[in-house]
Formats: sequence, structure tokens, C-alpha cells
Amino acid sequence: MSAHPSTDQHPATTPASGTPLLEVTDLAVEFRTPDGAVRAVDGLSYRVEAGRTLAIVGESGSGKSVSSLAVMGLLPDNARVTRGSVRLAGTDLLALSRKEHRARCGEQVAMVFQDALAALNPVHPVGYQLTEALRARRGLSRGDARKRAVELLDLVKVPNAKARIKEYPHQFSGGMRQRVMIASALAMDPDVLIADEPTTALDVTVQAQVLRLLAEIQAERQMGLVLITHDLGVVAGVADDVTVMYAGRAVEQAPVVPVYTTPAHPYTRALLRSIPSAAGTGRLPVIPGRPPSPAAMPSGCPFHPRCDAVRDVCRTEVPPLATPAPGRTSACHFAADIMAGREPAAADADAVGPTDADPAAVEHRDGHAMAADQATVPTLDDQDTGGSDD
Amino acid sequence: MTEPVLEVRDLVKHYPVRNGLLRRSVGAVKAVDGVSLSLGRGRTLGLVGESGSGKSTLARVLVGIETPTSGEVLVDGEDVTRLNRAGRKQLRRDVQMVFQDPYTSLNPRMSVSEIVGEPFAIHGIDPAGGRRTAVGELLELVGLDPDHANRYPHQFSGGQRQRVGIARALALRPKILVCDEPVSALDVSVQGQVINLLEGLQDELGLSYLFVAHDLGVVRHIAHDVAVMYLGRIVEEGPETEVYDAAQHPYTQALLSAVPVPDPSVRLVPAGGSPPVESGVSTGSTNGERSTNGVGSTNGVGTTAVRRLPIVLEGDPPSPVDPPSGCPFHTRCWLAPTLPEAQPDPIPSYPPTDRPDAGLRLVPSVCETEVPALDAHPGAGRAGTPTDPADSAASHVVACHFARELIVPGVGA
Ligand SMILES: Nc1ncnc2c1ncn2[C@@H]1O[C@H](COP(=O)(O)OP(=O)(O)OP(=O)(O)O)[C@@H](O)[C@H]1O
Ligand SMILES: Nc1ncnc2c1ncn2[C@@H]1O[C@H](COP(=O)(O)OP(=O)(O)O)[C@@H](O)[C@H]1O
Ligand code: SF4
Ligand code: SF4
Ligand SMILES: [Mg+2]
Ligand SMILES: [Mg+2]
Repeated sequence: MSAHPSTDQHPATTPASGTPLLEVTDLAVEFRTPDGAVRAVDGLSYRVEAGRTLAIVGESGSGKSVSSLAVMGLLPDNARVTRGSVRLAGTDLLALSRKEHRARCGEQVAMVFQDALAALNPVHPVGYQLTEALRARRGLSRGDARKRAVELLDLVKVPNAKARIKEYPHQFSGGMRQRVMIASALAMDPDVLIADEPTTALDVTVQAQVLRLLAEIQAERQMGLVLITHDLGVVAGVADDVTVMYAGRAVEQAPVVPVYTTPAHPYTRALLRSIPSAAGTGRLPVIPGRPPSPAAMPSGCPFHPRCDAVRDVCRTEVPPLATPAPGRTSACHFAADIMAGREPAAADADAVGPTDADPAAVEHRDGHAMAADQATVPTLDDQDTGGSDD
Repeated sequence: MTEPVLEVRDLVKHYPVRNGLLRRSVGAVKAVDGVSLSLGRGRTLGLVGESGSGKSTLARVLVGIETPTSGEVLVDGEDVTRLNRAGRKQLRRDVQMVFQDPYTSLNPRMSVSEIVGEPFAIHGIDPAGGRRTAVGELLELVGLDPDHANRYPHQFSGGQRQRVGIARALALRPKILVCDEPVSALDVSVQGQVINLLEGLQDELGLSYLFVAHDLGVVRHIAHDVAVMYLGRIVEEGPETEVYDAAQHPYTQALLSAVPVPDPSVRLVPAGGSPPVESGVSTGSTNGERSTNGVGSTNGVGTTAVRRLPIVLEGDPPSPVDPPSGCPFHTRCWLAPTLPEAQPDPIPSYPPTDRPDAGLRLVPSVCETEVPALDAHPGAGRAGTPTDPADSAASHVVACHFARELIVPGVGA
């Protein structure tokens, strides 16, 4: 994998500001399962610019990890990309062979996973894992690789790196292991770093250390950072831009501040409301039910069974991607109303949105056993929600 | 404060560390190392602390899954650890546990009715109206359809499984539920449903909760009182508002300052472009001031945001096998080195050689030699307001020789 020819043709230059380093357009990914094809990602678009952080937020199963694996060319064998493009500095990676795709990513895009312990090989010392990668992919000598590995561990602030390089992963704490993973991701000097829930398994104190480290490294190298998380606190603290995913789709995309001040999608709004706050003494506002399984996607707007602004049209029509304000998108029929804090105008006598008065009832309605009843697997045609912003 | 339903006195749980062929005991993991707590009737005591601080061990001892090395556990004034087997079994019915992981804590081969009814079988109890009816009522109580009693755990979602776990814990009509990370494995949107259920059950049944969680926002929402654990000990305890809004222990302050706040006008890192105004917590002052948040404007990034500086603790918590002398927090305490009392001292820092700056870190000698007692520090509070000592279970106590209030902007505010 060392010095793949394509790298010479596409030097890893930082594009002029405004040109995305990485641009994902209308990505769709399907899994073949015993129960048929299941669409895990369905029309996802985003762009990452140099020196900026894009946060992808969503509940578990919303397609965050699958979409990142698709970008990296690391999807499992039973998955395939059915639509879309992934452009890295202009080149569509999905048009390359799988091998070329991975090679290009190996040079320019790196990924950090949530579970650092699983990602590190338990039988080798931490240093060996770093030096092996450097020797294989950078062609460094043993001595140079070792020197570089110590530098990298210093960079991610592993104390006493020179000595600790001989230790095994189990001798490192969770936070230290995640630092090693970041060091190994930085070994190839990537232009883009995709971090999939890098701090979810860590204590808040250690999370603060790791987030700060990532931000420092990013600013120094003008890296593009894709931070995948479910924590809206983390997003507010570090992101420049935000993509909110629900059921395999980007339901809202915007710069970070307006996401919190004037959310333009009812799901984003509901997520923000459900964060426990000191002020709220009574019951928490909750989103009734739970996210749909990709095998049983509701008709119309995928969020409609849980939406507090639902209208008749939502049950039948997939909402197009609206642009309620420049630089913002929302996949809601009433994006402008929601953003303005207005009730959707559409008259609808019997539209009774779910309330949190009886979450149990809704759980029954949306319960696992009921899933088959509402299985309306969408076809390619009625999923016209893709397309890039602007 | 009403008299407590649960009281813990000097509770210790050590696990022996064995080594070599002879499996000789060469030391002990001091998982819980002298904890005293009290839980008021009908109240919720939140327990927070970093991973490995001993929260789950304490929880397991309280419900009787583990026996304590020493100390007392009083339920309604009666010491559970001193009763005989039968008496203990009887009392244990009063304290039930809800586990973290609804995916692994339920036996996949048992139907929901068997799971929820199992405590009746174990304790040989025949509830009035029969077990079937009782199970149906329990399921209804936690918001599940009694018609689903014959289903198996895999047929339920994470949130529903957690409801099953709660129904089972309620079967014997306990007074106390010990909940160890009951919502940590759940998605945000489902987490709220379970929290609301627990709050509703508390009002309805007068239950008392010990609520262990690492999410400080969730604990702030549900708890009346909060205890903060570090290396097997409680370092701060008090009413929720006092611990969150006027923390006095440097560890609590660090923990709170690290919690990400869902407000982009309080940034951890600068937004792309304009550098934010550096502010955040004012460390080392006896009179911390609340930082003013930048005015959130709606025109996207590039707005002036206040940069929040978390108090970043050095390194990881020390091993509970060999905890530091004196104050267990002194190896990572951010306050101690800033104090005028910090001066060259003959006692080497812990750990002796592990850090490049070993020996450079100076802390007051009392921090290295004397374990601080968990006491009220009336003078440390805002404008020196003393906490009411009569308000025993809810008084604000701190284990620090130099306790002082520091207002940390943020968590759930
Ligand atoms: N059975 C055991 N034998 C030996 N050591 C143990 C045992 N159970 C727990 N410990 C140790 O006791 C300490 C406290 O563990 P505990 O599980 O109570 O922490 P915790 O606060 O619940 O952490 P977390 O937040 O990760 O759940 C840890 O150092 C742990 O490794
Ligand atoms: N190997 C697989 N086979 C079948 N379905 C999968 C596989 N991996 C993921 N999925 C499905 O794809 C969807 C998105 O998953 P994922 O991207 O992992 O979610 P997230 O990272 O947002 O939690 C989920 O419904 C998940 O069940
Ligand atoms: S389209 Fe309708 S159901 Fe979907 S989010 Fe908007 S209002 Fe809610
Ligand atoms: S006693 Fe000393 S080391 Fe311990 S928390 Fe207080 S100031 Fe820090
Ligand atoms: Mg994932
Ligand atoms: Mg635990």
C-alpha cells in the first residue's frame, strides 16, 4: 500500500477556502439481510472544509457509522452503495476500485473509532502497532519509525511516551488508548479525520482532554474534522457545522449556532428539548416512541409517527429538502414555520400529534412486534430527498 | 429532613489481589473505602464520579449482591449486615436493583412474565390475586402492555426492556431502588421516557432512589441530593442545587467544568474563524464569578462566543490498589498547587516516578498527609452562608482541607 501512484497525481494540497476537502452527495447504502434489502443510509449529503469541524448527530442506528464506513471504503461485504458520490479533493472515490479507494483514503482520510480497545491489537505493544504502520505505508526505517511513533505519542500527550511505547493496550486507560488511536490516525498526515464517537466511552474529564487535543491538532494542521456523536453538548462545544441524521437521512443541516437557536426540523427541536436542564423541574419533554428500523420505514416523512407538528401530508408525502434560510436545509414540509417557531399552517382537523402524556401507549403502537404491520419499505423513487445543499 | 430510609456508615469493600502460585493475597483493590451516606425517604440521591470510582461496587453492596468488608448498612434504622440469613433476606426485599444494560441483564430464555414474577418464586411469595395478576399489574405500572407478558426480551426495544427490569425490581414492593446507570445505554429520546417513568413511580409509590449515573445533566434533573465519589470515597455531598451551583470540592468543580453544555455560545474550542472571548471558570479564587455568556446570535459561526475553559485534570485516576496518602485527590488536584500553603516538602508526590514533572508538583503538606474529613465548611459558601446543621441528610459536606466555593457555569443551567 506504500506510495500508491495515484497520490502523485493528486497531491494532498489544501484547496482554496470554500472548496470542500470532502464532499458526500446523495449517498445511499443498502445491506442485504435474510429479510431482504435494508437501506441504512438514504440520501446523505455533506461537505467538510479545511480547518472546520462538521458534527454528525443522531441516535443509534441512524446511519452515522455506516455512512463513514462507506466514505472510507470499509463497508462490510453484505453492504453496497446504491447511489451518490464521495469526492475527495475533487476525485469521486466511489468511481475507483475498492483497492484504489482505500489507498486514497489511507493517504488523505483517517478514521478514529469509538472502541479503541477493540481497534488495537492486544498481543502487540502499542509502539509496534504505530511503527509497523509507518514502516509499511511510509517506508520508514525501523529507527525512524520508532522516532516518529514517539513524536506522535508526544503530540497526543501520552506522558512518558518513550517508555510507554513498549506497553500493551490493556496497560493503557481508556483515554490513553483513544490518544494512541488518534496518534495512529495522524501518522499519515490526513487532510480529513473522521472520528466516530471518539469520546462516548470516556469520562467527561477525559472527554474534555481528548476534545481539546483534537481541536488543537486540527487548528494546527488545518484538517477537516468529521465528528460523529450523539451528544448535543459535545456538538455545541466544538462543531462549526452540524448535520442531524434520522433514519439514514440528513434531516437538518446548518451552522452550529442556528441549530440551537432556531432549529428548522421538529426532530432537532425535540432532541434539544429532551436534554435535562436545571430549570426543568417537572417531567422531561420526551420524543414518544423510538426510531424506526430501516426494515420498517414509515410512509411519508420517516419522523411522522413521533412528530409533534405532524399534518396529514406528512403521512403520505416524503418531505423535500427545503432551504429555510441560506446555508441551511431541513427535510420537513414545514421547515420555514418550524424555524420561525410557528405552528405549521396547514389546516388539519384530526392531526393529533403524539403527546408525552402516555408514552407507553405510543410504545405499544410503535413496538417491535408491530413493526411488521407498518413495514412500508420505500422504493428508490419516493426517496427524492437527496441532493446537496445550496 | 425526614429520618433517612437508608443509611450507610463507614462502608468498606476491598477485593483481595492475589499473586503467584500460592494465590497469596498481596494487597487489595480498595473499591469502596469508607463511605457514609444517607438517603431520605421519598428522595433521590444521585451518585456521580469517574469510571472506577466505586459506584457500582457500592450499589452491589447496598442490594446485598456483595457483602461489605466492614461498615454498616441501615435500612429503616436496622443494620442489614448484622442480621441473620432470614432477617437479611426479609430486609433485602426492601432494597432492589435496576441495572444499566437492559440488553444483558435480562435472561433471554425467560419470558417477560417469568422475569417479572421471578422474585415471587425466589422469596416464595404468593401475591394477593395470584402471580399472573400481579405480573400484569406490574407491567401496567411501568407502561407495558400486560398482553405482552409471554414475549421474550429480544422482542422489546431497549427502553421497553428497561421497563421490564423496573417492573421486576418493583415486584416485592421495595422501599428503595438502587439504579446503576439505568438510562446510560438508551438513546436520548428514550432516556427521557424512562426518567419520567421513574419520577412518576416515585410520586405514586413513595420510593426512594439511589441513582448512579455518569451523565451529570441527568443526575441534576432527577436527584434531590448528590454525592460525588472519587477513589472509593465520597468527596462532596449535598442538595442538588448546592453541589451543582456552588461546588466546594476541587474535584466536583473539575467534573462540572468538563461537562459539555448544549449551548454554542459557550464554546469548548473557538468556532472556525473568530477567536472567542476566553473566560470560563476562574480558578483558585475564593469567590468564583459566573461568567457571562456571549449573546447567541443567529447568523451562524463567527459569532462571538465565550470560550469555556474546563479545568483539565492531569492524567487518570490513581489505582485503587495503592491510593495516594492523605487526600486521595492530591495527585490530580488543580487547587492544591495554587495555594500559598503549597511549599517544598520532604514527602515525595505520588506516583513517585511515573510523571516527567514528578517532584515538581508541590501541594500543601496537609494534603499529602491527612485524609480530609467529610465536613460542612460553612465559611466556604457564598457570602459565608452557613448550611443548617439540623438539616442533616441534606447538608452540604466536603472532604477537602481547603474547601471553597467555585461557581462553574454550565451543567443543565
Ligand atoms: N470483583 C472485583 N474484583 C476486583 N476488583 C474489582 C471488582 N469489582 C470492582 N473492582 C474494582 O473496584 C473499583 C471500582 O469499580 P466499580 O465498578 O465500582 O466502579 P464504577 O464507579 O461503577 O465505574 P464505572 O463508572 O466504570 O461503572 C475498580 O478499580 C474496579 O476495577
Ligand atoms: N452489518 C450490517 N448488516 C445489516 N444491517 C446493518 C449492519 N451494520 C449496520 N446495519 C444497520 O444500518 C443502520 C445504521 O447503522 P449505523 O450506521 O451503525 O448507526 P449509527 O452509527 O448511527 O448508530 C442500522 O439500522 C443498523 O442496524
Ligand atoms: S414533514 Fe411533517 S412529520 Fe415530518 S418533521 Fe415535518 S412536520 Fe413533522
Ligand atoms: S485536600 Fe488538598 S489535595 Fe485534597 S482536594 Fe483539598 S486542596 Fe486538593
Ligand atoms: Mg455508530
Ligand atoms: Mg459502574
